[in-house]
Amino acid sequence: MSVIVKHPFLQRLLRVPPAYYVFAILLITLWIARPHMLNANIMGIFIRQVAPLGVLVLAQLLVMRVKSIDLSGGGIILLVNYVISSGIFPGASMPFFIGLSLAIGTAIGLFNGWMIGKRRVSAVIVTLAVSIILVGFVQYLSSGKPPGDVPSYLNDIYNIKWGPAPVPVLFWFALTVAMALFLSKTVFGRYVTSVGENPEAAHFSGVPVERTVILAHTLAGFIAAVAALVQTASIAVGSVRVGLDLPILAVAATILGGVVFGRGEGGVWGPFFGVLSFALLFVVMTTFGIDDPGKLIAQGLIILLAAIFYGIRTSRSN
Amino acid sequence: MTQAFLARLTQSKGRQGLWTLPLLIAIVISVYLGLRTDQFLGSENLFNLIAQAMPLVITAIGQMFVVVVGGLDLSVGSLISFTTAILALDAPGYVTIPAVFLFAVLVGLSNGLVITRLNVHPIIATLAMQYIILGITRILRPVSGGTVPDIVIQSVGGSLFGVPMPVFWGIAVVLVAWKLLHGSRFGLHLFAIGGGVANGTPDAARNFGVPDRRNILLAYVACSCFAALAGVFLAGRIVSGDPNVGLLFELDAITAVAVGGTQLSGGIGSLQGTVIGALVLALLSNGMNLTNVSPFIQTAIKGGLLLLVVGLQTRKKIGL
Repeated sequence: MSVIVKHPFLQRLLRVPPAYYVFAILLITLWIARPHMLNANIMGIFIRQVAPLGVLVLAQLLVMRVKSIDLSGGGIILLVNYVISSGIFPGASMPFFIGLSLAIGTAIGLFNGWMIGKRRVSAVIVTLAVSIILVGFVQYLSSGKPPGDVPSYLNDIYNIKWGPAPVPVLFWFALTVAMALFLSKTVFGRYVTSVGENPEAAHFSGVPVERTVILAHTLAGFIAAVAALVQTASIAVGSVRVGLDLPILAVAATILGGVVFGRGEGGVWGPFFGVLSFALLFVVMTTFGIDDPGKLIAQGLIILLAAIFYGIRTSRSN
Repeated sequence: MTQAFLARLTQSKGRQGLWTLPLLIAIVISVYLGLRTDQFLGSENLFNLIAQAMPLVITAIGQMFVVVVGGLDLSVGSLISFTTAILALDAPGYVTIPAVFLFAVLVGLSNGLVITRLNVHPIIATLAMQYIILGITRILRPVSGGTVPDIVIQSVGGSLFGVPMPVFWGIAVVLVAWKLLHGSRFGLHLFAIGGGVANGTPDAARNFGVPDRRNILLAYVACSCFAALAGVFLAGRIVSGDPNVGLLFELDAITAVAVGGTQLSGGIGSLQGTVIGALVLALLSNGMNLTNVSPFIQTAIKGGLLLLVVGLQTRKKIGL
C-alpha cells in the first residue's frame, strides 16, 4: 500500500487540489448525461448564482491561510441586506449604501481580528457568536419579517451582460485576479504565507503575527461586505434568511480548493474552481432531481472527503 | 485593584476551572427573577425550568467530554433532531430506542476515527457530519410530525413519588457523567490529553503511556451518546419528531460549557461547572420569557454571552 502511495506520479496527483478533479468529473457527467445543458447562456446563469459565494470564498481563503476561520459572513450579509432594503435611509444614493456596507463589514472584520489576534479567542467561537448576534439583531429589528425592496439600480447592474459573460461573474473573476496578485506580490502576502506555515517561526523571524491575523480578518470583513452587496443585488429584495448557509459553503469550497488551515497549495485559483464545482454540483443535482436534503448530504460528504484527502497527506508527512 | 480582582475572577489555577463565577451569576439571576416576578419561585415554574434545562444539561455534559481533550463537536444539534425523527417513526419503542443509541455510537465512532486517524480538524469533521445527519433527518421527516412511543413520553412527562421525572433524569445523568469524568481512569486520561493539547504539546500524554487516540475516540462516542439521550428527552417533551428541534443546539451546548468555566483549549473543566453553565442559560431563557423579551434578541444576548465568556479566557494559540 505504502509503496503505491509513495510513487512519485501518485504523489504529484495528490498535490493537485481536489477541486480540479471534482470539477472535471462533474463536467464529464454533465457532458454525458445532459449535453444540452453545456451552453454559455445556461452555464452563465448558474455561475452567476454562485458569484456571491465566490467573492466570500476570497475572504475565507485569506483567513484560512493564517490558520483561522471566519463564519461571520452570514451575519454581515444579513445586516447589509437589511440596511439597504429596510428603508432606514430613505432616498440615499448608491455610493452612500456601498460605502456604509463596506464600513460595516470592515468594522466587524476588525472586531473579529482583534478578538482572535489580541484576545486569542477561538476563531470559530468568535465569528459564530458575532454571526448569531447580527442575525438575532436583524431579525429583532425586522420582527422576523422580510424588510422591503432593494433599490432597482443594484439589480440592474447585476443583470448586465458583457458579451456572453454576466457582469457579476466578471467582477468575481477580477477580484480573484486582484487577490492572487495581492497575495503573491505584496509583503503582506508573504506574511500571510509565513504565518500559515508556522506562526512561531514567523514570530521569531520578525513577522508581526498578531497584526497579520488582525489585518487578514479586517480584509475578510471588507470582502464579506462586497459579497453581501453582490448577494443583495442578486435577490433584489430584503430578506431575513438570505446568505445564512454561505459561510459554510465558503469553507467547503476553500478546503476543496486546497487551502486548509495554513496550507495554501491551492493558491487562489483552487478555491475558485471549488466554487465552480459547487455551481456544477447544483446543476447536476438539480437535473438528476436530487432535492435539498440530498444536497445537504452531498455538501457534508464533499467537505469530509476533501478534509480527509488533506488529513492523510499531513499525517504521512509528519 | 479592579484589574487584579478581575484577573482573580477569570483566571483559576486548578484543573476544575472557574465554576464559582457562573454559580454566582446563577444565584444573582435567580434572586433578581424571584424579586421581580411572582411566577418564578412557584414550584410549577421551577419544575418547568428543570424540564426545559434538561436537554441542554445533557448535551453540554456530553460536549464537555470532547472540549476537555481540546476538541469540539458541532454535530450534536443534528443528532438530536435525528433522534426525535427516528423515535417518531411508527415503530415500537424496543426497536427505535436501541437504534437511536446504536446510530449515536456510529456517529461518535466516525467523528472520532476521522479526527484521530485521518488527521482532520474536529471542527471540519463534525461540521461535515452535521450536514450529513441533517440531510438524512430531512429525508426521514421533512416537517415535524409522527408520534413518539408511550414509554418515552411517560418517562419524561410522568412523575414518581410526586417528583417529576426530569429530576430523576438529571440525577442519573450527572451520576453517570461524574463516574466517567471524575471517577475513572478514562476521565483522568481525558484531562491529561487535554492538558497537553492546551500547552502546545499534543504528544505529551502519549509519551507518558496514555493511549490518546483511543480515549479521544471514546470522548466523541460519549458526546454523541449524551446528545442522543438529550434527543430522547426532547422527543418525550414535544411528543413528535421535529427535523429542526436541534437547530443551533450545538452552540447553546458550547456556550454552556464555556460559561461553566471549561477552557475550550482543553485540559481544564468540571462537571459541576458545566451543569451550572447550562442552568445559567436556562435561567436566562426562562427569565427573558417571563419578562417578555423578544425571542430574536434572546438569541443575540446568548451570542453576546458566549463572546463575553470566551473573551475572558486567555490562551496561547492564535486562530482556530
